[in-house]
Amino acid sequence: MPEIFIDGNRLEYEKPQKVLQFMLDHGLELPFFCYHPSLSIPANCRQCMVQAGTPVFNKEKNEYEKDENGERKIRFFPKLMTACSLDMSDGMVIKTHRTSDLVKRAQKDNLEFILINHPLDCPICDQAGECPLQIQTYKYGPEGSRFEFKKVHKPKRIKLGPRVTLDAERCINCTRCVRFCNEISKSNQLTIISRGDKNYPATAPGREFDDPYSVNTVDICPVGALTSSDFRFKARVWELNQTPGIDITNAKGTNVDLWTRNNLVMRITPRYNPEVNDYWMADAGREAYRLFNENRVSKPEIRLDGDNTTKTTWNNALETFVEQISSHAADEILVIGSPHASLEDNYILSKFFNKIGVNDVYYTPHIEEGAGDNFLLTDDQAPNTLGINYLDFTESDDLARQLSSNKVKIVVILNDNLLDRSAVTKEALKGKYVISLATNNSEMTNASDLVIPVTCAAEHDASYVSIDGRIQRTFPAKETVYTNRSINPEMGISRLDRYGTKFDNWISDQNKIDCIPAWEFFVRVSYRMNLDLDYTESREIMAEISSAFPVFEGISYERMDEENGVQLPSLKETEINPA
Amino acid sequence: MSMDWKSYKPLLLPNIKNLHQIDVYEKNGGYDSLKDVLKNKDGKWAKDNVTNEVKSAGLRGRGGAGFNTGLKWSFMPKPDGGPRYIAANGDESEPGTFKDRQIFEYNPHLFIEGAVIAAYAMTVNAVYVYIRGEYRSWIQKLQNAVDEAYKKGYLGKNILGSGVDIDLYLHSGAGAYICGEESSLMESLEGKRGYPRLKPPFPAQKGLWGRPTTINNIETLSNVPFIIKNGADWYSNLGAAKHPGPVLYGISGHVNKPGVYEFPTGMPIMTLINEVAGGVRNGKKVKAVVPGGSSTPVLRADQLEGLTMDAESLREAGSMMGTAGLCVLDEDTDMIDFLWRITHFYHHESCGQCTPCREGTGWLEKLLLKIKNGEGEYRDLDILLDLCTQMEGRTICALADAAAWPVRYTISRFRDEFEARCKKTIYATA
Repeated sequence: MPEIFIDGNRLEYEKPQKVLQFMLDHGLELPFFCYHPSLSIPANCRQCMVQAGTPVFNKEKNEYEKDENGERKIRFFPKLMTACSLDMSDGMVIKTHRTSDLVKRAQKDNLEFILINHPLDCPICDQAGECPLQIQTYKYGPEGSRFEFKKVHKPKRIKLGPRVTLDAERCINCTRCVRFCNEISKSNQLTIISRGDKNYPATAPGREFDDPYSVNTVDICPVGALTSSDFRFKARVWELNQTPGIDITNAKGTNVDLWTRNNLVMRITPRYNPEVNDYWMADAGREAYRLFNENRVSKPEIRLDGDNTTKTTWNNALETFVEQISSHAADEILVIGSPHASLEDNYILSKFFNKIGVNDVYYTPHIEEGAGDNFLLTDDQAPNTLGINYLDFTESDDLARQLSSNKVKIVVILNDNLLDRSAVTKEALKGKYVISLATNNSEMTNASDLVIPVTCAAEHDASYVSIDGRIQRTFPAKETVYTNRSINPEMGISRLDRYGTKFDNWISDQNKIDCIPAWEFFVRVSYRMNLDLDYTESREIMAEISSAFPVFEGISYERMDEENGVQLPSLKETEINPA
Repeated sequence: MSMDWKSYKPLLLPNIKNLHQIDVYEKNGGYDSLKDVLKNKDGKWAKDNVTNEVKSAGLRGRGGAGFNTGLKWSFMPKPDGGPRYIAANGDESEPGTFKDRQIFEYNPHLFIEGAVIAAYAMTVNAVYVYIRGEYRSWIQKLQNAVDEAYKKGYLGKNILGSGVDIDLYLHSGAGAYICGEESSLMESLEGKRGYPRLKPPFPAQKGLWGRPTTINNIETLSNVPFIIKNGADWYSNLGAAKHPGPVLYGISGHVNKPGVYEFPTGMPIMTLINEVAGGVRNGKKVKAVVPGGSSTPVLRADQLEGLTMDAESLREAGSMMGTAGLCVLDEDTDMIDFLWRITHFYHHESCGQCTPCREGTGWLEKLLLKIKNGEGEYRDLDILLDLCTQMEGRTICALADAAAWPVRYTISRFRDEFEARCKKTIYATA
């Protein structure tokens, strides 16, 4: 097998790669800024320089030439090479800063250059704490600077577009943002303007950077030049708790990280998953943090009469639910599942109502024609449409007609704003007892007689099936009134969460929502109705789903965690719903 | 060879009136080489033979790097039916260089003829001429010549009935020095921002629009017709042995008769200054000479004795032939001012792609401005030399080198002057 020697260590490889990528894959650190594994290689930051050489091959003797010590003779390139653009070859010798003073010096020199016109305003910079320039300067940079002149001044606070703000002085001209727009989102909206040390990225005059993927440039910016207009100055990253999750604003199943502080989701960033979204996510998904924080239903709500509603206790809500359900026949109840809710919630909903004799559970897909593209946006606006298809839910082509039937007395709706997206009308719901299990206040909850607050994707562990048939799960990122970070190992714990006290700025109980997972609500109701429905964890429900439905065979939380989501077998319609 | 320079008959810019008109050019043997080549394209002048002739003539690129032209042509891969290009580099933005525009003005057909022969030799159907945008009137002049050549059938489809199709297009630059660098010239031609490209791949593998491309200087291509006409042996005996051929010396600076003069390579520098260019102004002494455009290391007067203008001799003396644009500085020249102006130029023209050049060129200028203003300290000289080390060879293209060399060599060759300027400050403030 071909081999390469990095700092004297022999490593084998199968396919030649670029040296930098090979090193990163083998956990060997090398400083760099402009290189990004998903983008083209411009080699413009000049930070990943290494000494590189190849052995001298004697064609006549058919062997490598040896020096006086019997070692292979190495012909080094006359200049330092950028590892990012250097192709590996058999027997190549690489010397990094670990073994070469020349490389060490070059890295220091380059950082000195980068920093002379960099504002060094880390204390007020959003990137601080997750800034490659900051980290690498501490590791590889010079102790001070010999530059004692005025720095070059460039425009600050430029609104490049609705979601991205540029500080041109911080820019180190790595062109990652430009390459992202050219190669990934293909909007070609950014370019570098001006020349030399006055360079900075900009749009064409009069144009906006309104690319639907624009905020990805903020993520890949190796300094604080591009910042998210929304997240700017809201939080320091070292105060945030990072929890893996799924983008719930469309059906693609984009992998994300939820960044919380004091039980508020502060921002959402993409999480690398080469099977789904690579390093990227759509801007729309980042806005979803508002859904998790704002306008939440906290505590059950019950209608007194007419337009008057009031908050009530869980006890009262459960009793009311039990009363309503037990006083009606099965065919008087219309149960509507939701592509917006998780597999577990939908499964328990259908299982509960099956037990009391309601056999068909309906749903309407949430489709917006033309909203999708061929990348990370889909026409389907819900994260779990395929999942509830797999659960045998019946797609209703006309909910309004079903509702208009006088037979229906009770409507139970699992977290779906049917009114807001005009799947039903207010008139159709008139005269029925409407029970909503909802995360957020909406037209739907206003029109409901009983509102049960349920956990959102940021508060529970639950699984969703993407449009491409990949089952992935979320982790609880923010606490509810009934959960506790310190005893739930599924929840992420930031430094502030672990060591913060009530005297800290960002520690309080006020952002905890009084809600429970929808499945837990039905478990509690079953207890009161003497039905056999007993679960303590959502992973138990997943285990049951995987044994009940062939398509979910072998799926478990453990496997999803291990494999970063599991691709379900692509089954034919008949195999999914065996007659 | 320098003995008979006075009897030398110019080849690139012969003293013939109205040579830029195609009739006059033809009357004086113009396009004969092309006719000869195309007539014998299945025999004596098969494509490889043309390339080999140019290679053995020893023609070296006139754009600065001095690479063997025929060798460069031979790097072009075998034709695969797809498009292939020649980009003729007439960007000519190196300070102290003004030779190509003489060709555009006085002998444009020589260049066109050379370009067509080169295109034939490399199986190229399209030649792009990248001309400095500021050369408004020269662009017009060359365009007129191109139009004439099309009319007479030296360009276009089925040239002279030979079945060879070659088109020639003009493209004017937009004022950036960096677009004279061959790979950013290609980016610029493609309509992109003039950032130099990473090599490899080299232009012969992946050039314009990802296709095989050869980039040659205007003057280089203009040498081709008389190599064909008179043969490689004749050509390689012109001038210096390892760097043969006629050269357009652009002499500027403190001389009595600045201008472009054509002589073979290997001319003694002192002869060029004192006899060709009429000596230093006001009878002053030479202090220094920049031999080949602003980026070539400056030479002190005491280094000039016996020095000839060819790659080998200049390399031994610690400089380069570059574009043969000599800039003569007299004894009154302030070397600090001179160096500051050069660093100002490179600071202004750095494209800003690579960190060392983007940041280094500006820092160099700021330090030199400080010294120029009498505020310099000794350690600033050390920082300047340090910065040169930090820039040299660490960027994609050679602009960082071009910016660092003048600083390194001007300081090392005139260090006493720089130190004197620094010292004064110390006395003044102490």
